[in-house]
This record gives sequence, structure tokens and C-alpha cells, in this order.
Amino acid sequence: MHYQLDIEGEAVSLGFSPVEGKNTAEVSVDAGTHRVCFHALPDGRLHLVIDGKAIEAFLVAVDNGKQVFIDGHTFLVRNAGKGYSRRPGARSADEIPDQVTPPMPSVVVRILVRAGDRVRRGQGLVVVSAMKMETTLVAPHDGRVAGINTAVDAKVAPGDILVDIEKEASKDE
Amino acid sequence: MFKKVLVANRGEIAVRIIRTCREMGIQTVAVYSDADRYALHVLEAEEAVHIGPSEPFLSYLNAERIVEAARKTNAEALHPGYGFLAENAEFAALVEAAGLSFVGPPHAVIRDLGDKTKARKIMQAAGVPVIPGTMEATTDMDTLCAEADRMGFPVLVKAAAGGGGKGMRTVAGPEDMREACIAAISEAEKAFGNGSVYLEKYLVNPRHIEFQVLADRRGHVVHLFERECSIQRRHQKIIEETPSPALTPALRESMANAAVSAAAAAGYVNAGTVEFLFVPPDSFYFLEVNTRLQVEHPVTEMITGLDLVRHQMEIAAGKPLPFEQGDVVRRGHALECRIYAEDPTARFFPCPGPILLYREPRGPGIRVDGGIYQGFEVPVEYDPILSKVITWGEDRKAAINRMLGALRKYPILGIRTTVPFLMDVVQSDPFNKGETNTGFIEEHFPNWSPPEKMHRLAAIAFAAAELAGAAGTRPPWEAKEPATPWQTLGQWTL
Repeated sequence: MHYQLDIEGEAVSLGFSPVEGKNTAEVSVDAGTHRVCFHALPDGRLHLVIDGKAIEAFLVAVDNGKQVFIDGHTFLVRNAGKGYSRRPGARSADEIPDQVTPPMPSVVVRILVRAGDRVRRGQGLVVVSAMKMETTLVAPHDGRVAGINTAVDAKVAPGDILVDIEKEASKDE
Repeated sequence: MFKKVLVANRGEIAVRIIRTCREMGIQTVAVYSDADRYALHVLEAEEAVHIGPSEPFLSYLNAERIVEAARKTNAEALHPGYGFLAENAEFAALVEAAGLSFVGPPHAVIRDLGDKTKARKIMQAAGVPVIPGTMEATTDMDTLCAEADRMGFPVLVKAAAGGGGKGMRTVAGPEDMREACIAAISEAEKAFGNGSVYLEKYLVNPRHIEFQVLADRRGHVVHLFERECSIQRRHQKIIEETPSPALTPALRESMANAAVSAAAAAGYVNAGTVEFLFVPPDSFYFLEVNTRLQVEHPVTEMITGLDLVRHQMEIAAGKPLPFEQGDVVRRGHALECRIYAEDPTARFFPCPGPILLYREPRGPGIRVDGGIYQGFEVPVEYDPILSKVITWGEDRKAAINRMLGALRKYPILGIRTTVPFLMDVVQSDPFNKGETNTGFIEEHFPNWSPPEKMHRLAAIAFAAAELAGAAGTRPPWEAKEPATPWQTLGQWTL
């Protein structure tokens, strides 16, 4: 079996060939090969023995893959071959999402623009607050504010487009 | 002692207070908002009263509704926990006026200590060293600029009515002074309805060291040693410990004496915390008094063996402190890590949602104060603290190793938490050497990301789980076969 995985944004390919019955496998990852014994225990833990060393893991299925807990660390693992979508919020802090939508359920605190305003890429549009922390949602590209679909104090969720930004035909002014 | 107490809070602190009440034979009343109908504190209390919608202003900050809930359930006392209304003098006055005992200091003490310049004056008069600066709050720009020039830069402009970093500005030199004052005054005006500000000398990366005090109604004050809380992000503590690796016995004694004098000067009653900024090698300055039970109180409980909530209840019921300063002894070292629903890889962005898998670590010297359970949905409306892991060890190294062992065995899945970040901090060289200050996270962990070397392990676990599942060894809650009587029958009792 071959897996093309995405782990926190890093691509990892993995070969997994069962040997000696159903609970042992020969695993090749990067250049190395490992012998892995695995047992899913009834209390939800996955007991692994990798090259003779025991490791405990916990896994749950989430919207876009599986969350894996090992030794205090949690990783989002996606099967890249299965076409999972990107994890919301996984973008790096400098990357601008292409829609004006909150990264988590929030409450609108301030609206910084009005319909018809010209905005530049990266300009603040709406300030939302969640769990006592404020975040500014910014314009994904230059353009004109075509519509504001929210109001102060409104409860908003990921996927709600709070501000429509219309791209303008590029012309020098 | 009270027969019934209302706990005006939620989350881990409400659960923790309820547990001590139960041990003392005191009945408990929880309050809850729409979002918290099945929160852990509601499940733990004997009674629960719905106080409003999820928005904090309409529920946990709704003083009238909370006092009404206490009246309706015939509670005799109210414990405010921390946060929400815990340090609100008007709320304490309202509780007192309703004939209930407020488990905390009298409202007048909360008011005096909440006013920063008034608190500074009280402390200066009592001989407690305060941060050099001005003693009168003002909005007059010329006075502020002249004072700053006299003190020397950098200075801190702070709102007299302040808190939570609002109305606060650091000013590096005279050219920025006017603008910073205008901004601080307008922010303070908006946030507190009072634009007055005062100046403090800006201390570069001090250590945050605080002393726990207990005071009874007869004016007997004792301290329960210090806690160091220098590891902070966004001015919020995330790791606390006691004793502080920075203090010598002589320094500890002089700071403790200052803390007891501070509490006595303020007429303090109940449990409180006197916070200091410590500048090595031996300077310390009064910062403020927190007039409530602190988030980090368990580390003090671990080294002294005292239950702070129990003593809060006894003091509130009018009992004298049952021990003298000399009876308070400490043993070993304790550490606390705060577990937040935040993504440490995305600048600690809050991360609410359903908890799909939850397992608390256990073992000798490990305590978990939690407010969540598997299947609980962490609401978006409140502070993202989920729980606290507290470890005790014979010495600092032992407590650190226990903390690492505990965090390694603390899966909280479905959301992101600060657990992996805390592990790296606790394992780091400067932390192990005790070289901590309030700029620690910015200096050593500015852009944290998890270790990539573990990605391969995660990949193997992912693939193994798919195969293990296919082999029919699914966890019991995913069982597809009809249940047998052996699984559905309960315990037999005759």
C-alpha cells in the first residue's frame, strides 16, 4: 500500500506492506525502512512498536483528515491522494486568504470600510472578536467594496463572506 | 460554616471551588449561560441556575441575575472565582447588600486597590517600594511631559483606572511622548470612562514574582511564599512555579515582609496576591494586588499542603486563621502549565470547537484542574483556558521532568491546544537554567513550530490506524455489530 500524505503542510510518502499476518508491516518512509507492529486497543489508543520501540498514539477523524497525537505533539495528517481540502486556519500568518471570512466563529466588533470604498490588498476591512481576542480581516486583493454583508455585533462563522471586494479592471490612475 | 454557596463562574475554576465545597459539606449552586448548559461545572454542582444567553455581558457579567440566583436558591455566600466579576467592587457591594457573604475582600478594599494611583499611595505610605514614577493621575500633557523628562526615558504611560493593558503605552524617548499620552488617554477614556494617566519607569524584561497572602477579619495576615510567573505571552501568564529560582532566602524574606505590610496597609481580608516586578540582582517594586483567587494558586497549594479555597471559605465565614506564620512550611517545587484552546503555530489564535478525545495524565505528583470533558464543545464566547497541569517534585528538576511526562500523556483532540508549545518551553535550556523574564517567549520562541522530525511517526500512525481499523479492531464506540448482553447488562445488585 502506498500513501501520499500531507502532514502540517509537509508532503510525506509512505510505503506500507503487511507481513506476517495482519498486525505487522514493513514501512518505508524517506530512505529508511522500519518494521512496525500495531494494535488498536479498545480504549481508543493505538499501540505501535517501531523497530522494537513502543510508541503510543491517539487518533481522531476531523473534517479534513486525521488528528494524530504522539508524545504530547498533535499533527493534522491528510491523505493527499483523497483530495482533502486545506485546513482552515492552517495558513501562515503572512498569507492572505482569498475570501473575507472569519477563521473561526466570532462576533463583529468594528467595520472599517464602507460600500464603494477603494481598498488595497492587505487593508483592514472588519475587526472580529473571538475568545477575548480581536482579529482584523483584510482585503485579499485591490478593488472596490461591492457590499458589506454584516453588521457590528453580528455572530459570524467561517464561510460567511463578510465583505465583497470587486476586482477593478487594472487602470493606472 | 455556610450551608450553601453560589459559585459565580465557569470552567476549571468553578469546578475546583465546587470540589472543595463538597469536601467541606457545603452545598453548591452553579450558574450557567446557554452555551454552558452541559459544562462540567454545571454537572459537578448540586444545583444549577440558568442566568442568560452565551454573551458574557448577559450572563456571567450580569450582576443582578447572579445575585437573584443566589437569593432564589437560598445560598448564604458567593464565590466569584477569577475573571468576570471577581474584582468588581460594585458587584461585591451588591452581594454584601443582598445579605450574602462575598468570598473575597470587602468591596471598599477592592475599589482602593483597583485604583492604580491610590494603591501606589497606600503602598508608599506603608514603606513598600513602588515603581519610580508619578503619584497623581492627570490628563495634563505639559505635566506628563515634564515629569517624563525628569524621570528619564523609557517610561510607561498607564491608565489610573486601568487593567488588561488598556490605556497603556511604552515611550522610548521625548519625541514620542505627546502622541503616546494622547493615545493612552483616549483609550482609557473609552475603556474605563476615565482618561487620567500616570507615569512609571519602564523596566526592561523584569521577572514577575508574586506573594500569596491570607488575611482574616481580625487583621491577622500571613504569606504563603512566592510564585514566579515570568513566562508570559500577550502579557498573560502561561507557566508558573514556586519557589522562584531567582530568590535568595534573604530576598524572599524581605519581599514576603513587604507583601504582608502591603496587605495589612490595605486592610486586606481573605486570599490575595501581592505582585512585584523583580529586577536582578535584588531590586523589587510593588506592581498591584490581585483581590481574588489566582489562576496559579495550585502551585502554592502543592508546596504548602494548604487548600486555599477552604481557607477562603473559613475566612468569609468569620473564622480566624488557624495558624501563625511560623506554622507555614513549604516542601519541594511545583510547576503549573496553563492549557489553552489556542493554535501555537498560528500566533496563539483561539481554537474553540468540540473535544473529540480527552485523556488526563495521572501519576504521583500530577494534578489536573480541568473544566472540560470528551464530547464537550469549547464555546467561542469565553476565555480559552481549558485546564491546568500542576506537578510537584522534590526539587525543580524533578517537577520539570514530571511536567514533561504529564504533557506527553495529555491528548486533547478535535481542537488545537498549547500542550506541544509548553513542552518545548519546559524542555528548553534557558528555562531549565531558571533564566526567565517577561520577555522570555519573544526572545526564545518568537515563531514556534512543532518539530518536523516527528512527522514520520505521525505518518506511520496514520497508515497503521487505517489498517488496524480495516482489521476489525475498531474502538468500541465505532462498533458495527449489534451489542451482546454482556456489553449492555449493568452491574448486578441484589
